[in-house]
Amino acid sequence: MTDQIILEARGVTKVFKGLTAVAEVDYRLIKGQVAGVIGPNGAGKSTFFNLLTGLYTPTEGKVVFFDQDITKVPPDQRVVMGLGRTFQLVSVFNSLTVLDNLVLSITRFTPYYHNKSKFFFADRTNSFIKENCIGAMETVGIQEKKGLKTSGLSYGDKRKLEIAMALSLKPKVLLLDEPFAGLSDTEIDEIVHLINKIKEGLSIVIIEHKVSKLLNLVEKLSVMHEGRLIFEGKPQDAVSDREVRRVYWGEKDESSAIKC
Amino acid sequence: MFKGEKNMARLRRLDFLLIALIYIAFLPVIGKLKLIDFMIFTIFVLSFNLLYGFMGRLSFGHMLYLGIGSYAAALSSVYLSTNPLIIILCAITAGLLVGVILGPVVSRTRGACFALINMAFNQVGYFLVVSACAGITGGEDGLAAQAAPLGFFNLQDSNIMFGFTLFCLIFVFFVMKKLIASPYGVLLKGIKENENRVRFLGYNTYFFKCLTFCISTMIAALAGALWMFNFSYVTPSFIDPGRNVEVVFAALIGGPGSLYGVLIGGGIYMAISNYLASYITRWEMFLGIILLILVFRFPKGLWGVLADKFGKAGKGQVVEK
Repeated sequence: MTDQIILEARGVTKVFKGLTAVAEVDYRLIKGQVAGVIGPNGAGKSTFFNLLTGLYTPTEGKVVFFDQDITKVPPDQRVVMGLGRTFQLVSVFNSLTVLDNLVLSITRFTPYYHNKSKFFFADRTNSFIKENCIGAMETVGIQEKKGLKTSGLSYGDKRKLEIAMALSLKPKVLLLDEPFAGLSDTEIDEIVHLINKIKEGLSIVIIEHKVSKLLNLVEKLSVMHEGRLIFEGKPQDAVSDREVRRVYWGEKDESSAIKC
Repeated sequence: MFKGEKNMARLRRLDFLLIALIYIAFLPVIGKLKLIDFMIFTIFVLSFNLLYGFMGRLSFGHMLYLGIGSYAAALSSVYLSTNPLIIILCAITAGLLVGVILGPVVSRTRGACFALINMAFNQVGYFLVVSACAGITGGEDGLAAQAAPLGFFNLQDSNIMFGFTLFCLIFVFFVMKKLIASPYGVLLKGIKENENRVRFLGYNTYFFKCLTFCISTMIAALAGALWMFNFSYVTPSFIDPGRNVEVVFAALIGGPGSLYGVLIGGGIYMAISNYLASYITRWEMFLGIILLILVFRFPKGLWGVLADKFGKAGKGQVVEK
């Protein structure tokens, strides 16, 4: 397998009113890789994600996707290019039904979007759209909830719905922003299982707090601290790295056990 | 999917007949001319509600787009042609033009900013009509204008006018219903709830907001043209920013976010303003009280209350957050 770099940040810096949230981060994601980014609260992980996906434009530096500079490309265009994401606070449309949430994400990448008479005038409950939506629900296992209002779903199901929506955008790179936050242990295991199921043919970056869940999931782990990448390498090496242990677990004494 | 969904869907397909029947049934009670007024106003509320109810953008300057339609209709009948179809075409084109020019500006804003920027443009339009372009528009006095008969299509005949307005209302309603039921309808509701999230689904929301704005201004301009036909004149009151509150009231009474609600709201508002005014001098005060009750007790409007009560949540129904 050739190590093709699919997504790259080159010296990316973001300054908010004098506060440097992300400082000169160089990051490479190799095609087909599942990578993790950990770091304490306020380390700049989410800001980094927002820079990659286009919610913010970097103060300095470049974001490169498939050898193309996308630093100035708006978020919706990045999605079309193949950069999908989820949000730290689960972000689905609570006022819509579960089905409609998927209708919105799925129709964008079907011929329905390009055929404007269909996009504007076709009944969205038609069999073509419905089959696609139900297919997406089956991938994440929420097909029984299709008729419900999204506001009535559990947090875990909303998270699954959000992942289904991100997947329906047919991304090449999927960025998951704290996919385990606020979930119970069983739900986390379900999501881990789901990520393992979908990672085929996809490159994934996961931001997370819960290091223990990432160790077996990711091939590469990066650690952020105060806006900088302080470690990059195999997850097993990260937990034994002295600097990482110091900033992440607040350890001064190297001999104490890791609590993850 | 849902219980009784299929029967409701079948009923809903015939709702345009129901609209026609209701308006015809009210003919002996309210009178033809007033009903024409009711219907035109309802078309106007439908155009407003596309922005407010579905996309979540409250335009507090919608009279401008109605007025543009009226004035474009009147001016084209004076200077261009008295053919009613050409007049309507001119009015809708004028509405589209205003949408294309102002849309890119107003679509950048949301919330209070969106409301006020619309109002500001409305003020500008009012000023242009009343004083800056008074030579053409007739200033305070307005402009008399008429459409000539086109075969049997004589809009000065109140029967024809009634039929034509009813047709327009049903047509606009039908188009709206189609739009709301399509993927585009979900897109609008998505923009209403969380625009940024919609962008991260790959949609250029700015484009769709501009487009929706243009659709809305075109329909408002159509209502304006009909208004001109109905009165055979235009005056600055057709573009008066002070009257914006009417359309907001009507949408709130019926229930924004629901097409049926808008139909009810448009009718009820017109009924109140027509009849309450003849009994009570300061009827607006009661309207204010009604609005307070609505905002605090029934934010989903009359249709929302009915739909909740009978458990038949309509498709165009706003779902509580």
